[in-house]
Amino acid sequence: MRGGVTYVTALLAVAAAALAGTPAHAQVSETSVKAAFLPRFARYVTWPPNAVPSATAPFVLCVIGSDPFGGSLDQAARSQSVDGRRVVVRRMATAAQSGGCHVAFIGDGSSQAGQVLAAIGRRPVLTVTDARNGGQRGIIHFAVVSGRVRFFIDQAAAQQRGLTVSSRLLALAVGVRQ
Amino acid sequence: MANRRRPCALIGACALTLSLSSEALAAEADDPVAETPQGEDLSELSIEQLAQVTVRSASKREESLGAAPAALYVVTGGEIEDAGVTSLPEALRLAPNLSVQQVDAYQYSISARGFNGIQAGNKVLALIDGRTIYTPLASTVFWNHHWPLLEDVEQIEVISGPGGTLYGPNAVNGVINVTTRDAQDTLGILARGTAGPDEATAAARYGFAIGGEGAARVYVNWHEANELPTGIGSRSDDDYRGWQAGFRTDFVSDLDHFTVQGDLFRTDGETLEGDGARGHYLLARWGRTLSPTSSLQLQAYYDYFRRDVLLVDDEVRTIDAEAQFNTTLGSHDIVAGGGVRTTRDSFSNELNAFVLNPVSRRLWVYNGFVQDHFRLSDQLALIAGVKVERSTFSGWEFLPNLRLAWQPNSENLLWAAVSRAVRTPSRIDRQLEAPPFLGAAVNFRSEKLVAVEAGYRGQPSRTFSLSVNGFVNFYDDLRTTEFTGGIPLIELRNNYKGKTYGIEAWGGAQVAPWWRLQLGVSTLWKDIREVNGADDLAPRNSLGNDPKWQVVGRSDFELSPRLRLNLNARAVGRIEQAPQIGSYVEAGGELSYRVRQGVDLFVAGRNLLHKYHVESNDPEQGQLARRTITAGARARF
Repeated sequence: MRGGVTYVTALLAVAAAALAGTPAHAQVSETSVKAAFLPRFARYVTWPPNAVPSATAPFVLCVIGSDPFGGSLDQAARSQSVDGRRVVVRRMATAAQSGGCHVAFIGDGSSQAGQVLAAIGRRPVLTVTDARNGGQRGIIHFAVVSGRVRFFIDQAAAQQRGLTVSSRLLALAVGVRQ
Repeated sequence: MANRRRPCALIGACALTLSLSSEALAAEADDPVAETPQGEDLSELSIEQLAQVTVRSASKREESLGAAPAALYVVTGGEIEDAGVTSLPEALRLAPNLSVQQVDAYQYSISARGFNGIQAGNKVLALIDGRTIYTPLASTVFWNHHWPLLEDVEQIEVISGPGGTLYGPNAVNGVINVTTRDAQDTLGILARGTAGPDEATAAARYGFAIGGEGAARVYVNWHEANELPTGIGSRSDDDYRGWQAGFRTDFVSDLDHFTVQGDLFRTDGETLEGDGARGHYLLARWGRTLSPTSSLQLQAYYDYFRRDVLLVDDEVRTIDAEAQFNTTLGSHDIVAGGGVRTTRDSFSNELNAFVLNPVSRRLWVYNGFVQDHFRLSDQLALIAGVKVERSTFSGWEFLPNLRLAWQPNSENLLWAAVSRAVRTPSRIDRQLEAPPFLGAAVNFRSEKLVAVEAGYRGQPSRTFSLSVNGFVNFYDDLRTTEFTGGIPLIELRNNYKGKTYGIEAWGGAQVAPWWRLQLGVSTLWKDIREVNGADDLAPRNSLGNDPKWQVVGRSDFELSPRLRLNLNARAVGRIEQAPQIGSYVEAGGELSYRVRQGVDLFVAGRNLLHKYHVESNDPEQGQLARRTITAGARARF
């Protein structure tokens, strides 16, 4: 009986494969979608007045630790502006130089993510982490859900740092910690 | 999430994906750093549209140069899925530094650097999410008890070579470390079914967020296989079926990560009524960041299994607790920790005269360790560590290792290491009796290894990665079976001594945007002899059934955005240990077709070149490995 089911399934698969010449969804890399998200987050978060850059100064997007994005993040940052300000990307090995960062993505190295978060502490920085790099969470935490890049938002942590997350961004989160 | 199916979002994604260039596809298939597609323009999408773009997952590959200077191969979850395998042992064939032998329909013996065999394979440590899965009975692994949902496996880290300092006893020839994904990375529904003339599986998982802090998943995985034809061993009626169901929850806050996970499993064999195994475990782990430079992790688990095979029944209860502390002091990264494990087992044998005396026994293992990764300069690091361990059957054991890593640039790493590891005596080593023939070996000591290794790992070009490792292993006190000259007549002793040496090399190349190739080679020479005038009555049985060489290759073709073809082949040298078996070549693969996003149909095959081949020379249990073809479907919602 199981054999019968098998052959039917196999036939279906082969028939389906034969149709495969037709163009279909190619897929975008997960990393480039994350890169595209990063500069956009800044548009949906309000910083406390003392942390907002002056009218001519850029928004600073930092990658702390190893950088999974390469050129795709620079490309994404160039295409976005936040309230008329440019977005620039800075890369750094540790949190020591993170003073000027508005958004900080914490790169690979699961053991270090918690340490970077601890070093940033309560400063008004929108910290972003990635489930791929372990469980340590910043205010925004990327996760892949059903083949799409989504994120968790820790609103309590945002509030402690004086950041206000817009409802538009909250609506996209898979989970919000109040 | 309300606008999840908004047409404009989908159109946006469609328009975008059609404009993808071939470079984008090439980059995707490579490591994350290389994923910098030039042709993708995501800049025009709104943030809501971005959240709807379907992505090809970049499986995390932790085989980075920064990782431990050791012979390390990482099998990613994505590779397992592409290879069309549904069982853990078959997934381990993807690691070129492992030797995998199928013994019967459900039993496998798996080793690195020799000493393979269902009886002799006691020198590799295996863990799943931090839980040790070798049994104190014989120091082997019952692979058929472990059916994690492979779609939820993050990666399998395979270290060939000793890992005693960090991993402890049994990590003599290698470590197999299976890590499943964080629950927040397995949200949504997954269903998979496969069926063929001789095998079938069915699996489902549901993952969901718990507030904004946590996530959980529950899963069930069912499997069935027909018996294999009789091989070198006697007929074993090895028809097999079983299921495993489990869960994992992860809760995370600023500085804490709390994980609870567990599973239940049951398998049924057909040899005798009631044959099979069942068990369960529950594990909790808490990680806390203490300061910007230090963190602490605590873990504890309880594990139980019972196994009934013919008239032999055994059960083991394990309680384990461990702590690990990481800190950075200047140019020193220090990890220190300790643990205690206790097992209570019972073993009853109504089949033959071999019994364990006592039938039931509690064993203890205590350990403490410290390791320092000292950055001597930007390019040079020295790693020194030691584990001190005491088990019920051994005195204090010292498991030190010293490693030197030279990383002249970000593409190349050269390393060398000297390590000591031991296999502590198992219940069988110490307390197996069959009066008046076999007496308990009250003096059986730990088997010992000193390993000298060196290797290179690097990325000579953007599309080519390479790893080459060489080793010389010096063993002492390996197990012999000898006449005592009195009563009882025979006992186990520690009178094999010698060395093994070999080379392992593997590499991967992105030949074309749509074509990835991987090749791995390993060789093994053994020079191990009886010492102290010993005459082994089970000649070389404890030394394993090892081929001198093995070549594995894999080729992944992305034929179209919908169609993928994975082909794999292996050639394995002959096994000279009696009963001798010849070398063989086998091949398999998977053809998969993406019906729509998240839904795949596939046909997978193993051992396609021959209807049957001899893979295991185990004189009692070895059956013929069989050509196996299955068709299946997998859907994610």
